[in-house]
Amino acid sequence: MIDSILLHRVQFAFTVSYHYLFPQLTMGLALLIFILKSIGLRGNPWADVAARFWLKIFGLTFLMGVVTGIPLEFQFGTNWSQLVKKTGSILGQTLAMEGIFAFFLESTFLYLLIFGEKKLGRTAHWIVSFLLLLGTWLSGYFIICTNAFLQHPVGYRIDEAGVYHLTSIWALLSNPWALKQYLHTMTGSVITGSFTMSAIAAYHLLKGQHLEITRRYLSVAVIVGFLASVIVVVPTGDWEAKQVQKHQPIKFSAMEGHFHTEDGAGLVLIGQPNMEELKIDNPIIIPKALSFLTHDSWDAQVKGLTEYDRELWPDNVELLYFSYHIMAGLGTLFIGLMGLSIFFLWKQKLHTSRTLLWLLMLSLPFPFIANTAGWFTAEIGRQPWLIYGLMKTADGASPNISQGNVMFTLLGFMGLYLFLSVLYFFLATRIISQGPESVEINKPDLVAEAGA
Amino acid sequence: METVWYILLLFMIATYLVLDGFDLGIGVLHLFIAKNRSEQKQIIQSIASVWDGNEVWLIAAGGTMMLAFPAFLSSMFSGFYLPLTMVVWLLIFRAISIELPHYLSDSLWVHFWNVMLFVSSGLLIVILGAAMANVFRGVPLDASGSFFEPLWTDFRISQQTGILDWYTILSGITSASILLHHGALWLAAKTEGIVQERARKTAARFWILTAGLTTLTLLASFSIQPQAKASFAAYPWMIVLPLGVLVSLLCSLLFRIKNRNMSAFLSSALFIYLVIFTGAAALFPNILPGLNPEFSLTIYNTSPPPEELTSTLYWWIPGILLVGVYFTIMFRSLPKVISASSDQEH
Repeated sequence: MIDSILLHRVQFAFTVSYHYLFPQLTMGLALLIFILKSIGLRGNPWADVAARFWLKIFGLTFLMGVVTGIPLEFQFGTNWSQLVKKTGSILGQTLAMEGIFAFFLESTFLYLLIFGEKKLGRTAHWIVSFLLLLGTWLSGYFIICTNAFLQHPVGYRIDEAGVYHLTSIWALLSNPWALKQYLHTMTGSVITGSFTMSAIAAYHLLKGQHLEITRRYLSVAVIVGFLASVIVVVPTGDWEAKQVQKHQPIKFSAMEGHFHTEDGAGLVLIGQPNMEELKIDNPIIIPKALSFLTHDSWDAQVKGLTEYDRELWPDNVELLYFSYHIMAGLGTLFIGLMGLSIFFLWKQKLHTSRTLLWLLMLSLPFPFIANTAGWFTAEIGRQPWLIYGLMKTADGASPNISQGNVMFTLLGFMGLYLFLSVLYFFLATRIISQGPESVEINKPDLVAEAGA
Repeated sequence: METVWYILLLFMIATYLVLDGFDLGIGVLHLFIAKNRSEQKQIIQSIASVWDGNEVWLIAAGGTMMLAFPAFLSSMFSGFYLPLTMVVWLLIFRAISIELPHYLSDSLWVHFWNVMLFVSSGLLIVILGAAMANVFRGVPLDASGSFFEPLWTDFRISQQTGILDWYTILSGITSASILLHHGALWLAAKTEGIVQERARKTAARFWILTAGLTTLTLLASFSIQPQAKASFAAYPWMIVLPLGVLVSLLCSLLFRIKNRNMSAFLSSALFIYLVIFTGAAALFPNILPGLNPEFSLTIYNTSPPPEELTSTLYWWIPGILLVGVYFTIMFRSLPKVISASSDQEH
């Protein structure tokens, strides 16, 4: 018989990972569309056309985000009822705020943004694109705050019955963990947005379609993509790693594959964790780098996993290690690829270099993988805790649901999401193959661009 | 303070039912009222820009329930594990059925999604009623305040109840009828021409059905929930609530006959609010009665201490006022009257 806690975990992991494929794209695109609308507002019709094209993809993706988001809110109650019973008055704060301050805002203006450009006129449409950006990014903040309470609980007290009470809403909303995690996560979603935009642009350029509009918006995408690829590592990735090292040292050692305490610890780049012998097989290691990155000193001591009680190790060190290394490895690739693109842009060869365009096009899946791997690192690394240091994951699940019922709903979600994936790919491919409609680029704009 | 939050929560749940109720009703009716593609578009246009905002009330109500009555949410959601997960699946189908036809104008594609919209909306309006009837009837709570209900047992009201028994099925059919009537009135108020005419006829039919079923369900509710009788005996003034239910239903009939369709719709909205408040008042202060009354969940034993609830009001009230502003913008952006010719190709 399969463990019912495992089924609850797999169902939440599956539904939340699938869900987050969509919001990471819409939050990133919301920023890029706002930038395009701002360029358009200053008299560049190509940017308005590009924004219109990307709004079509945004609309479809947003819909997928909405429909796959609802199951997550429900699952708090259905699958994790003991967590809600104990901490609902705290987690409910940020979840209700997300509904009231973010979802209502988004739902009010989404339809106007996608279908109301003619009716609204230029300036109003630009304002609406800003409101959507605000809504999607606010929503992200409230969810990060909810997660941050699980990672690094603040602003609470526990009564005799073991129930958690909120002592300060401001502490909850200004959780230092949340602020850093938010910046890291949002930069990650801007990477997804800009890589998706440049991949589709590269596809059209390679096909020789919609050249005038596409080569212009590709420039916007790679500039934003380059900045985001840098910021996701320095400073936000660095902050994130340091706060994990400080507050969750076991997660830190496990994700780095650092088993034994040493002075001048090396940074594992590649290798497979061997949990029998507690070492890395086939390692490629940069000597002393881990000490330097965590303590700004080449010879500092870094505690290894074996320093801690094995009961408190994450139950899947291998997956945690690989998630983190995949994220970090792809992050390095992003800087390289976008750095190269910026160089070619500067040389004015970006839209003609076929090799680079091929690379940009083929990179489409990588940011989605990197963002997912990043969340795997955060969540698998928090195990065995549901609320770090306070409540075990096994104590948070609903005790009154039989394995058969969870298996039933898990399979149902898998089937349903397979269906949604087919629909999404079918419709997204159609929108992309239609491309941005061609418009006349008038003379003043060409002059303005030459001067810029 | 618990009572204040209980009223706010009921207000949010009822607002969800009033708003998404007309979307769901129309999701079923469009298949019968529209006779061609242009009428179909006219009908969908009356909900296309608002359904998402309406559905957010469900999420916001859920969040409010979690912060104000966490133990209630915990017990109810896990106990109703199967039906609530199915509600989620149906909400997914309903949403994509409204939106995906925009992306491709192939006739088979559009037809498929229209039928899917009918199926998902139809099941939702029945399940919503059945779910609330389950709460009203009471569930087999144990001493730890938890329970689990299978989808059905023997369809009788016994100690081991299922989600579906004769009473909850009756309530499900009643709620379907109420929301179909409600949706038809929204169409009558927002459209013109042949669609409006058909919507008015549909509303007339469902008014009769609603009146009959509501009376029946009201009587059944009194007979299966002993606490209801006790509550009304203890506070006789509460009788204004069920009376209000009947009066507002009557108003929606009178306004419709006078061709004041928007007033008829608003009467129907008031009717839905009063149904919810009547049910809640009959159980007060229980929020989820146990089949063994000793284990009933009340608004007091499921909520955090009053001072926490009080401080939450400081952000909650401005937040909900802001929502009022958004909804004014949203409903203003809808054309006053939607005609068959004014539809736009997206």
